[in-house]
Amino acid sequence: MTEPLVPHAARASLLRRYWPLLALCALISAIVAVGSLGSEQMQVTMTEMLIRLIVVVGIYLFIGNSGILSFGHIGFMCIGAYAAAWATVDPAWKQMMLTGLPDFLQQNQYGFLPAVAGGGLLAGLVALILGTAIMRLSGIAGSIATFAFLAIVNSVYSNWESVTAGTSSIIGVPNVVGPWVAWAFAIGALVLAFAFQVSRWGIMLRASRDDEVAAKSSAIGVVKVRLIAFVVSAVIAGVAGALYGHFLGILTADTFYLGMTFVTLAMLVVGGIGSLTGAVTGVLVVTLVVELLRHLEAGVPIAGSTVHLPQGSQEIGLGIVMALIMVFRPTGLTRSREVPWPFTRRARRRKMEVAPAR
Amino acid sequence: MTDVLHDLPPGVEQPQAAELTAEGIVVRFQGLTAISDVSLECKRHQVFGLIGPNGAGKTTLVNCLTGFQRPTSGRVRLGGEDTTGWTPDRFRKNGVARTFQAGRLFRDMTVAENVEVTALGLGMSRRAAHRHAMAMLAWVGLGDRADTIAGTLPYTDERRVGIARAMVLSPAFVLLDEPAAGMSDAECDDLMHIIAAIPKEFTCGVLLIEHNMSVIMGVCDRIHVLDGGRTIAEGLPAEIRADAVVISAYLGMEG
Repeated sequence: MTEPLVPHAARASLLRRYWPLLALCALISAIVAVGSLGSEQMQVTMTEMLIRLIVVVGIYLFIGNSGILSFGHIGFMCIGAYAAAWATVDPAWKQMMLTGLPDFLQQNQYGFLPAVAGGGLLAGLVALILGTAIMRLSGIAGSIATFAFLAIVNSVYSNWESVTAGTSSIIGVPNVVGPWVAWAFAIGALVLAFAFQVSRWGIMLRASRDDEVAAKSSAIGVVKVRLIAFVVSAVIAGVAGALYGHFLGILTADTFYLGMTFVTLAMLVVGGIGSLTGAVTGVLVVTLVVELLRHLEAGVPIAGSTVHLPQGSQEIGLGIVMALIMVFRPTGLTRSREVPWPFTRRARRRKMEVAPAR
Repeated sequence: MTDVLHDLPPGVEQPQAAELTAEGIVVRFQGLTAISDVSLECKRHQVFGLIGPNGAGKTTLVNCLTGFQRPTSGRVRLGGEDTTGWTPDRFRKNGVARTFQAGRLFRDMTVAENVEVTALGLGMSRRAAHRHAMAMLAWVGLGDRADTIAGTLPYTDERRVGIARAMVLSPAFVLLDEPAAGMSDAECDDLMHIIAAIPKEFTCGVLLIEHNMSVIMGVCDRIHVLDGGRTIAEGLPAEIRADAVVISAYLGMEG
């Protein structure tokens, strides 16, 4: 980046710098705008997709920049979902079923936005404590520690009857999340993730991803930058969990376990683990494939008779898609790059046309 | 250009330490003694050579002096302050930088970002870090490769990026681990000019590990020779070249 000579060039380079973010936000907005005209089922599918987008973007913020695979983020989603539900569920029900809740939660009912904020904050706080302990681990050791965390969260939330209602569910969570609410949070997550990756913390963290030893000798406090990313990404996952609870209306700890972990990681890997564009692409492509297969499982009328795919085709199909991508594009559909700036080639061509005249 | 090289941001001062010292360093790995009782002093304004056959413990000693290896016993001092047990990033923040034998660039980042990120780690602003990085790259002769992805660079250019990265914000000492390995004679000459310029340009002491004797003899003010983890000689280049023990342990093998 040279010093801009004229304001026009400055504007162009600024636009160019934020281009991937703008392109992704425009894409998501366009999809929601078109989808909101569709059927009720379409709205539901889209809302769920947008919430998953938030989770995947949150997971990307940590995994993509640090290079450490985390299996634990769905645990943060669980923490956020329950925390928000504790705030918004009818106090009468809470006093009956969730007798272990502290008074300020049990006696009161809070609004949706404070509840979401609380969910994100609690997830972030847990990440801060957990991360302080495990961020010095690299590679597989760190990943296994996050997996252990997921298992712990699941078993605590499945069994802590007086606070989580255990194996029976928390019911009556207000159903307030539709496509546009989810869209607003998705845009927020994209902005946050992009701002992080172009920030000084993001660059330092990616340096530690490429070579941890060299990063340390470049004066980078590796544990510290990892911890920052871990906490921010946990907050995003926690917020997504809070939204998911207020989308489903009912909470069970098993919603936030291996199935969700697999789907979200599959999305990230399919799209490209190393770019925000990859995270978004993965969510869109995997949702499309899964919806298509679900549709075929339900049966399509062809030439007067209805043709079904066997039950379970969804999972098998997703597995096949993942395997193919790992074989042919190990760095994901986007090759872990951001949306390219579309105007370079034309500008260069123009310059070349001008050159002979000089 | 010199201005930019020394253009330190407010709050960041070039470290004042006048010498980097190893005192009686011993490193043992599960019974195997890699270094036994080595002492040396690397002074600012000097190029200090560290030579010896493979396995002599040169890199292990550099690891001790930069925080990557905690000595089993002995002290590391930076300008009188006891720095034994400091972390690598703390060493770098206090003016002790290094390069690696294997290059160890941030492969997926651009050449400019490789240098820039060190400036960020040292607390510079984004804009200042970028300007400083470009100046450093111009200084090692890679100004035109700033936007290249580091992983695609030829071997010899990798070394230069490593040196540029280490020289960010004028450290007090830089430890170069075999920077000439695999270079042609012409490339070695270029490298020697860069290394010889470091003490003058940056008032920075250099500790140089190298097997290429023409590089060592050409740029070093003092030379320390290790063999099997022990010091076998230290002195001026002319003294080392004439030392019978060094010749039989090391130089002799070169023919």
